[in-house]
Amino acid sequence: MKRGRLEIIKDILKIIQDNHNSIKITPLIRKSNISSNRFKEYYLEIISKQFIKEIRGKSGEKLISITEKGTKFLEKYSTIIGFLEEFDL
Amino acid sequence: MPQMTGRIVDGAMSGFGNPGLGLEIIYSFVIIICSLMIYFGTKELYQLSSHKGINYFRRAFLFFAIAYFFRNFIKFILFYFNIARIIEISPKTAGILLGHTTLFIFVYFSSMAIFYLLYSVMWKRWNNSNKVYLFHILAVIISFISILFPSPFIHLTINLGLLVLVIIIVYISRKNQKKNKSKLYFIYLLLMIFWILNVLDILVPEFLRTYQIIIYLASIGIFLLILYKVLKKVGN
Repeated sequence: MKRGRLEIIKDILKIIQDNHNSIKITPLIRKSNISSNRFKEYYLEIISKQFIKEIRGKSGEKLISITEKGTKFLEKYSTIIGFLEEFDL
Repeated sequence: MPQMTGRIVDGAMSGFGNPGLGLEIIYSFVIIICSLMIYFGTKELYQLSSHKGINYFRRAFLFFAIAYFFRNFIKFILFYFNIARIIEISPKTAGILLGHTTLFIFVYFSSMAIFYLLYSVMWKRWNNSNKVYLFHILAVIISFISILFPSPFIHLTINLGLLVLVIIIVYISRKNQKKNKSKLYFIYLLLMIFWILNVLDILVPEFLRTYQIIIYLASIGIFLLILYKVLKKVGN
C-alpha cells in the first residue's frame, strides 16, 4: 500500500531515531525506501519545519539528527492519524 | 437629551430587560467557547502535520466562532434599536450601516464555516485542486443577496439550496468511497441543518420563534458532541 506524506515523514524520523539519533544522508535515503527525488522533497520539508538538523560528526562528516520538534512529531503521530481518521480529513 | 437618543436608550433598556437576550448571550457564548476550544485544541496537530484537512477543519470552527459573535451582535442591535429585524431597518435610522455591515459579515462567515467543513472532508477527493476561492465568491454573493433582497422567501430558498447542494456533494462523494465511511457525515449534516435554522432565526425571526429554544439546545448538543470527539482524540 502506498505510504502517505505523514507516514513517510514518520518513517524518516524513526530511522534517524533508531540509529542513535545520527545518520549519514546516503544510508538514510536507502533505508527510507523512496526515490532520491522524493527524498529530497521530504528532506527539505522536514528540515524547514525543524524536525531534523544537520550536525558534524567526530571526523567532520555531515550527519542528520532529529530535533525536539521531530521527537514531538513522532510522539504525536498516532494522535494525528487517529484524528484524521475520526474526522475523515 | 435629544428625543432620538432617548428612544434608543429606552430600546436598549427594554432589550436588556428581555430574558431572551440573556438566553441569546449564553447560547452564543457556549458555541463560541466550543468552537474556539476546537480551533486551539487542534493547533499543535496542525503545526506538526501541516495537513490541509486539519487546516480547513480548524478554519471552519474559527469561522463559526466569528459568525456567532456577529450573530450575537446583530441580536444586540435588534434590541438596542428596538426593531423587529435588521432587514426592516429604515434608511433613516442610525443602525442601517451597522446592521447591514454586521449582517453581511455574519452571513459571509457562517457560509464559509459550512464550506470549510465541507472542504475539509472533500479536498482529497477533488484531486487536491484548490477550490476554496470558489467558496469565498459564493459566500460573498450569498451575503450580498441577503442584504440587497430583504425577503424571507429568498433567504429560505438560498439556505435550502445550500443544504441540497451540500447533501448532493456528500452523497456523491460517499457513494464513490468504497471503505471507511465515517459516521461523522451524519453529525455534519445535522450541524448544517441547525446552522441554517440559526441563520433563518436571524433573517426571519418570526419563522422559528416557537422552536427557538429547541434549536438552541440541539445546536449546543451538536457542538459539544464534536468538541468531545476532538478532545478525546487530541487528548488535552
